[in-house]
Amino acid sequence: MRVIALIAIREYLENIKTKGFWLGVLLFPVIFIAIFFFSNKLATSAPTRHYLLIDQSGQYAEAVESAILREHQRRVLQEFVSYLQENRKDLDLERTPEVDTSSQVDQLIDDVGNDELAALDMWLDSGGLNVALTMMSGSLRVDAPAFIAPRPQFIAAPLPAGIDVDAAPERIIEQLRPLLTGDRTMIIAGQPASLFAVILIPADVTEDIVRPGTMPAPQGAAGIQYWASNLTDTRLSSAIQSSVNNSIRINEFSAQGIDIQAVRDIQRTRLPVSRLDPKKEAGEETVSAADTFRQWAPVGFVYLMFISLIQSLQYLLSNTIEEKANRIIEVLLASVTPGELMMGKLLGIGMSGITTIATWIISFLLFISFYQSTETELIGQIINVLFSSELIPWFVFYYVSGYALYSGIFLAIGSLCNTLKEAQSLMTPMMMILVVPLVTMSFIAQDPNGTVARIMSWIPLFTPFAMMNRAAAQPPMIDIVGTTLLLLASVALVLWLSGKIFRQGVLRTGQPPRVLELLRMLRT
Amino acid sequence: MNDCVLELSNVSKKYGSFTAVDDISFAIPKGSIYGFLGPNGAGKTTTIRIILDILKPDSGTVAILGSNSAMTVRHRIGYLPEEKGLYKKMKVWAIISYFATLKGLDRKSARRRAFELLETYGLKDFAEARVESLSKGMGQKVQVLSAVAHNPELVILDEPFSGLDPVNQAVLEQLIKDMAANGHTVIFSTHIMQHAERLCNRLLLITKGRKVFDGTVPEACAILPRRVLVESSDDMAVIRELDGVLAVSVQAQVLSPIQAVPDNEAPAQRLWEIQLQENADPRIILQKCFESGIALNRFDYTPPSLHDVFVHLVGSEAKEHQFR
Repeated sequence: MRVIALIAIREYLENIKTKGFWLGVLLFPVIFIAIFFFSNKLATSAPTRHYLLIDQSGQYAEAVESAILREHQRRVLQEFVSYLQENRKDLDLERTPEVDTSSQVDQLIDDVGNDELAALDMWLDSGGLNVALTMMSGSLRVDAPAFIAPRPQFIAAPLPAGIDVDAAPERIIEQLRPLLTGDRTMIIAGQPASLFAVILIPADVTEDIVRPGTMPAPQGAAGIQYWASNLTDTRLSSAIQSSVNNSIRINEFSAQGIDIQAVRDIQRTRLPVSRLDPKKEAGEETVSAADTFRQWAPVGFVYLMFISLIQSLQYLLSNTIEEKANRIIEVLLASVTPGELMMGKLLGIGMSGITTIATWIISFLLFISFYQSTETELIGQIINVLFSSELIPWFVFYYVSGYALYSGIFLAIGSLCNTLKEAQSLMTPMMMILVVPLVTMSFIAQDPNGTVARIMSWIPLFTPFAMMNRAAAQPPMIDIVGTTLLLLASVALVLWLSGKIFRQGVLRTGQPPRVLELLRMLRT
Repeated sequence: MNDCVLELSNVSKKYGSFTAVDDISFAIPKGSIYGFLGPNGAGKTTTIRIILDILKPDSGTVAILGSNSAMTVRHRIGYLPEEKGLYKKMKVWAIISYFATLKGLDRKSARRRAFELLETYGLKDFAEARVESLSKGMGQKVQVLSAVAHNPELVILDEPFSGLDPVNQAVLEQLIKDMAANGHTVIFSTHIMQHAERLCNRLLLITKGRKVFDGTVPEACAILPRRVLVESSDDMAVIRELDGVLAVSVQAQVLSPIQAVPDNEAPAQRLWEIQLQENADPRIILQKCFESGIALNRFDYTPPSLHDVFVHLVGSEAKEHQFR
């Protein structure tokens, strides 16, 4: 025991004394904080995008324009709702009802019919926002920052010179193509800019309307033409689509003599859905934000486990290979047994891994306590929720057992190789295996007691990840007890076998062994 | 044999079809300096690893310091492996002290012992330096010191002299002598015969995994007949009739330094080797030559060195091994 402790302490101290270790450890919080600030910046400085609307039919320009306006209002509302959430006087996740901001806003936007947008506009622009702020001021915190409405993101571009709006659509697009692809720029408000999108509504667009019972128009440039090089940002095109369709439907309603006001009222009728959790005390079943965090927290823990394990295993491997390459191993083996050496290494590097996690937690806590803002307060609350949950013991158990399992394997690999390069080829399959839990993580989180989750839990290599993933979902007792026993048995087996390989591997020189030779090692 | 610190009986070890150690037996008395000689690939390192219980022999037994496994008495053994390596990032004193603590010393005395050794063997100024900043020779000295830091009763040094300059070789020789003077036993392997000749009480010579000699240095030298080299243009056949002379043979044709091309007119100079019995006096040859009117250009009598013995015993096999 004394020798194991000596080896572990040396491994640990030597490890944490290197610059590389701290670089690796601190990179994570640094990146996190950088993303934190960057995304804050990014949210307020989304690029302005210019669009050009050419309506040859003369019927849908208004609908398209209101779609674009609506897209903007949607963002204002979204911002406003999250602003309200962050700046509540009594920010407490346990009591904040779980709301999905975007879905609530979607609901609100859906309520607001196409030609009611003006009303929404009025509500927001002419005192609507101010009224709302005054209304909410009672429940806002005293030090809450002022609400800054986001800038409109989609701005109408002036018609470039030389374009005849009544020309054939093909001709217009031909002329605008260089502006759309960014080959040419035009000056808008003193700034060179290219066109983000051109919305072209041909004169005969009405003929392309698809009604039930009619054959859909052949694929191609049917209906409204939405031209844009950016294929990923579909907000504008989908907003236009729903807005125009809304307007067409209203036309159809009036054509059939249906009271539009009645339709609108009917569309705004709805029944709320309350999310309740049957596992909670009577009277408190409402799902709170904290509950949602708790449900999703295992995913965070799986990530943490994955990153920290990868880091530790890499240290273990390079460290073993270094000792082998430097021939230190032989001196060590004259002083300690291979078993002691192995255990010492496992413990020493394991302590480095724990140091890594502790450093991350401490740096986050420091960041939160030094950088006071509504967001960090939110993070602080999330961390509080996590620490008060029963997930921590699960995490500790699965981290330790997962580490023991994988480190045994990696140590055996390290003992068989003379250079890191040799180790790479043996390591690749292990890395692939390690990625599997990461890939299945979100499936398991959504269906924690489903078939995939259960199968994964019963494969010892995945047990730590899968069971951690399921930890918040009260997996059946058979899964908890069974997989734990299986995991512990596998850890013992792996450590025993890798001990054998390690003992023989460390003194080997030359090529890594072939499978047959490996089997012989395991047998002796 | 109670005074033996180490005894191997019929130890064999195979790697696949290759026999690294073939039925080796020997015993090493306490307090001796034991030379472990053999050509490259003779099985020295394997034997040492078996002694240290790093490798298990296929057959045979090892008795070391009264135990049958070096592991149980490892705190009393010091070991310097053939291929030297140290933790590059560690400080010199720390690494010596670390190995000493692994061998059972407590932290404080290990540290004190490290500084003591560094001072005694001229590395005081490097105590705080990192291992990676040391030269190869210095690193090796540090490693020797870390092998003996816990004051072991039995020290096994595998090729301790390789890579050291003559001054440091002398320092290391002194260290080995100091250890022996304190009643400790030192086993070292080498293929530099001068060290073995100067230091060893006893020698073990192995080649191809087999023991070919085990005994004292004078015993080793006695294996080779004593010989006299003479250079003469006359025939030395008459010498053969002398008592104590075993054989006379021509070793080589000698070219005189002045004429590079042998002149048919002038009689050729030849180098003769005359082998003598152990107790024969070489002066009888001189006398006989004088009496027979044989003119000698050179008369060279040197008792056989360990080097000659080594070459004699393993020469052809070692060469074969080298070129294989």
